[in-house]
Amino acid sequence: MKRFSKESWAGVLFASPWLVGICIFMAYPIAASVYYSFCDFSVLKPPIWVGMDNYSDLLKDEVFWIAIKNTLLYAAIALPSGMLMAIGLAMLLNTKVYGMTVYRTIFFLPSLVPQVSLAVLWLWVLNGEHGVLNELLYHAGIKGPNWLGDPAWSKPALVVLGVWGVGNAVLIYLAGLQDVPQQLIEAADLDGASPWQKTRNVTLPMISPVILFNLIMGIIGTLQVFTVPFVMFPGGSPERSTYFYAMYLFDNAFKYSKMGYASAMGWIMFLFILALTIGAIKVSEKHVHYQGS
Amino acid sequence: MKSQQKNQRIRTLVIQVTLLCLSAAFLFPFLWLLSTALKPIEETSKMPPVWIPSTFQWHNFLDAITYGYKSLGYYPFLVYARNSLVLCSLIVGGTVFSNSLVAYSFARLRWPGRDLAFSITLATMMVPFPALMVPMFGLFRQLEWIGTYRPLWIPAWFGSAFSIFLLRQFFRTIPFELSEAAKLDGCSEWGIFRQIILPLSKPALAVVALFSFMDAWNDFLGPLIYLSDQRTFTLSLGLQAYQSQNGGTPWNLLMAASTMVIAPVIILFFFTQRLFIQGIAITGLKG
Amino acid sequence: MDRGSLVFPGLALALVAAAVTSEALVRPPNPDHRTHITYWEKWTGFEFDAMKAVVDEFNRSQDKITVDFLSVSNIRDKTLLAISGGVPPDLAGLESGHISQFADEHALLSLEDMCATAGIKGDRYVKAYWDICNYKGHLFALPTTPASTALHYNRQLFRDAGLDPNKPPETLEELTAMADKLTRRDANGHFKVAGFLPAEPGWWNWAWGCVYGGKLWNGKDTITTDTKENIQGFEFVESFSKKYGPGQIQTFKSGFGGFSSPQNAFMSSQVAMELQGVWMYNFIHMYQPKMDWAAVPFPHPASRPDLARMTFVDEDVLCIPRGAKHVKEAFEFAKFVQSQHGMEELCMGQKKQTPLKYVTPEFIATHPNPYIKLFIDVAQEKNAVVAPQVGIWPEYLDELNNAYDQISLLHLTPAEALKRVRERMQPKLDHYLQRLKMRNELDSVTGQN
Repeated sequence: MKRFSKESWAGVLFASPWLVGICIFMAYPIAASVYYSFCDFSVLKPPIWVGMDNYSDLLKDEVFWIAIKNTLLYAAIALPSGMLMAIGLAMLLNTKVYGMTVYRTIFFLPSLVPQVSLAVLWLWVLNGEHGVLNELLYHAGIKGPNWLGDPAWSKPALVVLGVWGVGNAVLIYLAGLQDVPQQLIEAADLDGASPWQKTRNVTLPMISPVILFNLIMGIIGTLQVFTVPFVMFPGGSPERSTYFYAMYLFDNAFKYSKMGYASAMGWIMFLFILALTIGAIKVSEKHVHYQGS
Repeated sequence: MKSQQKNQRIRTLVIQVTLLCLSAAFLFPFLWLLSTALKPIEETSKMPPVWIPSTFQWHNFLDAITYGYKSLGYYPFLVYARNSLVLCSLIVGGTVFSNSLVAYSFARLRWPGRDLAFSITLATMMVPFPALMVPMFGLFRQLEWIGTYRPLWIPAWFGSAFSIFLLRQFFRTIPFELSEAAKLDGCSEWGIFRQIILPLSKPALAVVALFSFMDAWNDFLGPLIYLSDQRTFTLSLGLQAYQSQNGGTPWNLLMAASTMVIAPVIILFFFTQRLFIQGIAITGLKG
Repeated sequence: MDRGSLVFPGLALALVAAAVTSEALVRPPNPDHRTHITYWEKWTGFEFDAMKAVVDEFNRSQDKITVDFLSVSNIRDKTLLAISGGVPPDLAGLESGHISQFADEHALLSLEDMCATAGIKGDRYVKAYWDICNYKGHLFALPTTPASTALHYNRQLFRDAGLDPNKPPETLEELTAMADKLTRRDANGHFKVAGFLPAEPGWWNWAWGCVYGGKLWNGKDTITTDTKENIQGFEFVESFSKKYGPGQIQTFKSGFGGFSSPQNAFMSSQVAMELQGVWMYNFIHMYQPKMDWAAVPFPHPASRPDLARMTFVDEDVLCIPRGAKHVKEAFEFAKFVQSQHGMEELCMGQKKQTPLKYVTPEFIATHPNPYIKLFIDVAQEKNAVVAPQVGIWPEYLDELNNAYDQISLLHLTPAEALKRVRERMQPKLDHYLQRLKMRNELDSVTGQN
């Protein structure tokens, strides 16, 4: 055991809570859930092996494809808009302006609200007939759509909501921004760089690890979007336009008692997110800069 | 130089105005929350919405606390608050303790299989929770933990991928020369961790603590699945008790209770945000 | 340094204290000599209080059993989870629509043997209410409070529109004609009052085919969503969207307040006629006690006089989940509720009718709902309609609701939308039945029940 140095032992020892935890609370449930995905399993009865049936049934399931389409569409709008909003806000919050403590708290507020209250709040804001948002739009001379009832507008409504809840990401960006060495900015100032050039050439590269982190969390979060549409749009109404992948998964598992089917859905989702994340890391490898190493 | 100063002032003004407008957009649902919390019940679902209550019913807050006393024989809001606090302190304690250890190992120690283990850690973040819910439930049933708090807090003592990732990113930015120097002075790994890394990472730890507190405080699904006796419910789960299946929801009390649930978190954040935003940046290393 | 060295032990101590407390909190308080059974119900508010009164009376009536009565939201999911977690309540207050799925999952105990011993017989009950407790030859539930539906209409709006409030519609054609007279819109087509909207309250969106005598499945193995009758029913829905424009209906509807509020569309005189259940009286009484309203049997198609006095029946039920620890004691309480006295106390408390055939004269005489007799009567007649008792119903219902959206938004014709539902559901039903058979065969091999 020559290769196992003192540092190696320390490393394993320090990591041991997680190594144990990952076996009990991850590996076992994951293995069980992989097994279930090949079974007919209704929670109360022992699982029965059915081979690839669940997977082949899924490919034929029209609702499955609707849910995928909705989820991808949502992620494609919500992820970039959320990230832009978060970086923009973080940069604004990183300036020296009077009342910063209050501003930071305000932008973080939405992340603190229990999701149930949050969904109820937004039902009032987005109401097509008397909603506050449409009232504001009306005063601006725009006739607001029926956000919640029109299949064409229900997804944009959720994007608005998602943008509103970017507080967590803002906080992480902010931390990253404060980590950017002041000397670099000052050096750029001396070179006569414009604010945009400073952002583009100094700030963004310096916070690239943080961007990558938030990108990955964003991919995971948007593709698993669940609680808010689940509370706001029962059954993904109208016309299943807000019926997302995680909702169909949940319905299969706990409403229709098709645990095996739901597990298969879970694994398809997992592999998809995994592929996207690996893709994101690979693509970004050249652009991400770590200060410490 | 004059024009630069003027430019600077215009920029500050633009930023100030932008922040003000955005704040208004971010705040107005909360004003609605607060206004509903103070309304008489008839005004809560009036169309078009009433913004300023005809009478400010401050006693809604008291009513929200005593709500349910008659049929339950105890003050549910206070009981739930106590349960939430006990549970949250266990979860936050466990999260900070275990994840800082594990993240230290991943960030600054070399051991065979480390990178593989870290990749697996990242991958676990992508496992959709609903897919694991049933096997987890089965596991805790085998352990006879259903109906206790154990399924909710014991896993927190074994680390969580998100916090490990977060802390690892921060630990990596601490110059390795510091550890090397300490090692030359004969410091053990535990010593380095305890005396160099932890003090420098207080803000990062605060972030992890805050995030885990928020998650625990707002967690709905976990308590919903694992707790069965109403006396053991947490606040976020208890909030649902105000909602009725077939209408009859006392919205004003629900919002008053919601306000009281989120108020501590907001206050906590307001007073500590400087610590962890500034400090996450590990300012101590700059000078 | 001194202070720093105390931080760690201090925190550790606090955490140990918290861990000990967390264990103490889950221990049941004050053990006594009585058997405690847990009973979960979906109700809150006055409906909860009505059952609570019955529970209290039962707890006082003897000294062996105490029923711990809990209001549980999301009762269906929560109960299913608790059953699979091995910690089910001893009694669960489900809805009749849950029975077939729960029974297929082997989640409920069948009660017929205990009922036979206790002398509880089906002929005491109104047939429709007893039948929905039975599934595949077994009794899986006992009734608590039943409900039936009727057309509720606003007499004042009738007068305002020049209609005779004593001559409500009897056929759907009359309903449509009167709805047109009752409807008031501004120059832009914006609704002020709608005579009738099929989408309000939207709880029976699946059922429009049944109004025309349609069946949603053949009771065995075939989905029959797109039969002539079902298509007719949804064409009735479509006709309203065509007449008023789907956007106008949607916008108007989004302005309605919550069901249980004074801004409820019916109670605030925004909708003149509505299909509603026996419970509607409670909410009118609570929010608009001065309202001049009436209830009559729901109209039938003029071409189908045989479908007159159609009603949807539904019921809250008591079930004993598999794995319950105190089956005998739980049944004792269920039996107490089934007594004439228990039943009438509960149903009067919730101001609904009772599921029993015999009703004491005092019950009707003192019942506050002026139309209680109507709700009692229609449920006993031949056109009482029950939601399909098929284990796959939750999924079928979601499909039907989606088809309703498509039809009312005029995105698909009823024939097309219903055909798609059948094409999706038939393979799912086949699959479901095949897997059910597979499970049952496995059970008979391994000798489980």
